[in-house]
Amino acid sequence: MSATTTNHRRGFRLFALDINEIGLIVILLVLYFGFGATTNGFLSANNHLSLLRDAASIAIAAWAVTLIIIAGEIDVSVGPMVAFTSVCLAFMLKADVNVAPAILAALAIGGALGTFAGSLRAYFGVPSFVATLGLWSALRGMSFFTTNALPVTFPDNAFLDILADNMFGIPSSAIVMLVLFAIFSFVSQKTAYGRSIFAVGGNANAAELCGINVARIRVLIFTTSGVMAALAGVLLTARLGSGNAGTASGLEFDVIAAVVIGGTALSGGRGSMLGTLLGVFVITLIGNGLVLRGINPFFQEVVRGVIIVAAVLANILVTRYREHRIFGA
Amino acid sequence: MQTARQQDPQPLVAAVRGATKHYPGVLALDDVDFEIGRGEVRALLGKNGAGKSTLIRLLTGATVPDSGEVTINGAALTGSGTQRTVEAARLGVRAVYQELSLIVGMSIAENLFLGRWPSSMGVLSHGEMEHQARETLVRLGLTLDPRRRVATLSPAERQLVEIARVMIGEPKLVVLDEPTSSLAAAEVELLFKAVRSLAAAGIAVIYVSHRMSEIRQIAQAATVMRDGKVAGTVKVAGADTAEIIRLMLGHSEQEDRLVGAARGGDTVLSVRDLAVPPKLSGVSFDLKRGEVLGFAGLLGSGRTELLRAIGGLDAVRTGTVLLDDKDITRASYGERVKSGIGMTPESRKEDGIVPLLGVDENTVATDFSKVAVNGVISASRMAEAAGDIIRRIGIKTARIDTPVGTLSGGNQQKVVIGRWVYAGSRILLLDEPTRGVDVEAKSQIYAIVRQLAAEGKSIIFVSSEIEELPKVCDRVLVLKEGNFVQEFSAPGIETDALMAACL
Repeated sequence: MSATTTNHRRGFRLFALDINEIGLIVILLVLYFGFGATTNGFLSANNHLSLLRDAASIAIAAWAVTLIIIAGEIDVSVGPMVAFTSVCLAFMLKADVNVAPAILAALAIGGALGTFAGSLRAYFGVPSFVATLGLWSALRGMSFFTTNALPVTFPDNAFLDILADNMFGIPSSAIVMLVLFAIFSFVSQKTAYGRSIFAVGGNANAAELCGINVARIRVLIFTTSGVMAALAGVLLTARLGSGNAGTASGLEFDVIAAVVIGGTALSGGRGSMLGTLLGVFVITLIGNGLVLRGINPFFQEVVRGVIIVAAVLANILVTRYREHRIFGA
Repeated sequence: MQTARQQDPQPLVAAVRGATKHYPGVLALDDVDFEIGRGEVRALLGKNGAGKSTLIRLLTGATVPDSGEVTINGAALTGSGTQRTVEAARLGVRAVYQELSLIVGMSIAENLFLGRWPSSMGVLSHGEMEHQARETLVRLGLTLDPRRRVATLSPAERQLVEIARVMIGEPKLVVLDEPTSSLAAAEVELLFKAVRSLAAAGIAVIYVSHRMSEIRQIAQAATVMRDGKVAGTVKVAGADTAEIIRLMLGHSEQEDRLVGAARGGDTVLSVRDLAVPPKLSGVSFDLKRGEVLGFAGLLGSGRTELLRAIGGLDAVRTGTVLLDDKDITRASYGERVKSGIGMTPESRKEDGIVPLLGVDENTVATDFSKVAVNGVISASRMAEAAGDIIRRIGIKTARIDTPVGTLSGGNQQKVVIGRWVYAGSRILLLDEPTRGVDVEAKSQIYAIVRQLAAEGKSIIFVSSEIEELPKVCDRVLVLKEGNFVQEFSAPGIETDALMAACL
């Protein structure tokens, strides 16, 4: 393959497959048919719906975190953000606030908290890991503090029931996930905002000198992430029928793992929504398959850890090989 | 021309004999002889690419000559690879480079012993370290407290700590590479004091610098390099600046001049009494429409600082910047970009390109809105806009979306310039636009700059390669110690006169 026909990541075609994405699809097929052949109930229609629902709980937050990681930042506050907005929503519904304004308020709270973390990063130079780690601790604590660790229940609500149920035979949350996937793919590839995120992550100095408002981009990605985590919180509240302070524990790591497995570089500048989608399914399939096989839950964590690292290692080796082709010699 | 050495009774510390070094496509050193004796301070001069760095690398063992011999204190260097560097260091060769290599979070004492901290039974002995550090600092005539963190030191003090670091062990030969380039005039005296202490202790010092006033104060002799050869070694006391310039430039004729008689357009940019302490003090100039204005000056003369101040990247203390008679002194960088100023940075890799993105996106990054329809980037518009720039500037790329990181340095530079052409900037601030690009790309960049000027753009061209300024500039202003000292107008700008004004 000469330099003229190099198959590098093409930002502008929405679904051009990268070698790393092809690799992920192979991994997915192996996992899917491997579990399908050996595990009872894995291929049932019900299990497929459950797979989609599990995927949605990770993916909705993962779309925004993909943008954050492409920009060279990190967000570890996702899990507590989901729990906190879920608790907020439950309190509002319990107080008989109308469902539409309550959901909007929950999304606004998520957005505001994300904006706060992003501003700390953009204007004060607080590393995003630290800013979101602060949120991670404070929001989880706030959730437990305000609820005394008890579920916050609220009267039945028709709209939330729709969100918790299926539409056209597919879980509503999965539909939300797919619609957002389309939007995020589009925004990341076809808008100035999306391309500026790649430029900031690829070389923030150069982006700044081009006149791109780097600080604004850095704030906006965290605002987006806050809103997406809040949306995941809304869907979770609908599914559980209550607000729970302890929910979505460790979700941030599933989200980051999915993004990284999807080939988005933690150093920034490179990544794709499609990769994250595949990464989400890898994580979901592993979790689901291991549960169905009845593997000891503690040992599941071990297997998951090994698979995550192996997938990323494979990705790095593939990338290195490809860069050697493009940049080397 | 070995006159300087022959009168020197001191024994030799280092000698290079008949050294030749090829790099792919370049003869970096061509049968070079060089000697330096105990306690001597020798200035080393030469244009970019004359072979200074290669000579220094031979002495520090970083490079093995193709033929010839390097002896330090009578012992020839024999190793290869890192072994050779270790060997040279053991024999007492030390080098201090322009980029400082201190760890700012650590104390002076810890930095002096970096990696070789005195310890007993595996435990660092801070008392011993501070004691030795203090002795070393005192030997250089410095009164710094070794417990201070490097982060609290001024640039000059950091430079002095770097020099103190080479005193650890038993140095015989110390190479200082443009040590005053980052220092303000007042701080230079401190450095001189330290250099004199080195010489007094019998250490040979190679002092790479082009500031004649400094060389006169500190060095006994000056070795001038040109085209990989030693053009001559002269006693500083006897030589005048013209002689040294003649040695640096040789008698190469200047060809391919692109500049005709200067045209007088309207003034578009007017800078008055601009001061950015400590590097710039009250700079004034006008830039006309369709003019290429060169800034010449030695490393550290304030060229980059001036460009950054005009671009709005650094705050100015006093003075005004007028764009079309509108005061933009307080405008942000982004506002200046919108009003038609574009800047290309000195360091292409660090501040210029986004390596993973394509030529197209690197080009349109200065204004996505021009290729967007209702906020959605149109692939066809972007291809058209980028294709247009690629043709106009002559960027050699396989496809318009080839990652910029894979292009040659010259083509990367053209992309960085091209993005401002795309943005429609009227004033281009080019900081070292030909740094690190090959000869062919250089003349292409000159042609691009002239073409842009002919289209009515105004260009400020900053370069440390003095001989290229007469090729592209209608006018050249010479910066020295934070102010313009002389102005040259085309046609007929002479490189040696320009060089003389800089030194």
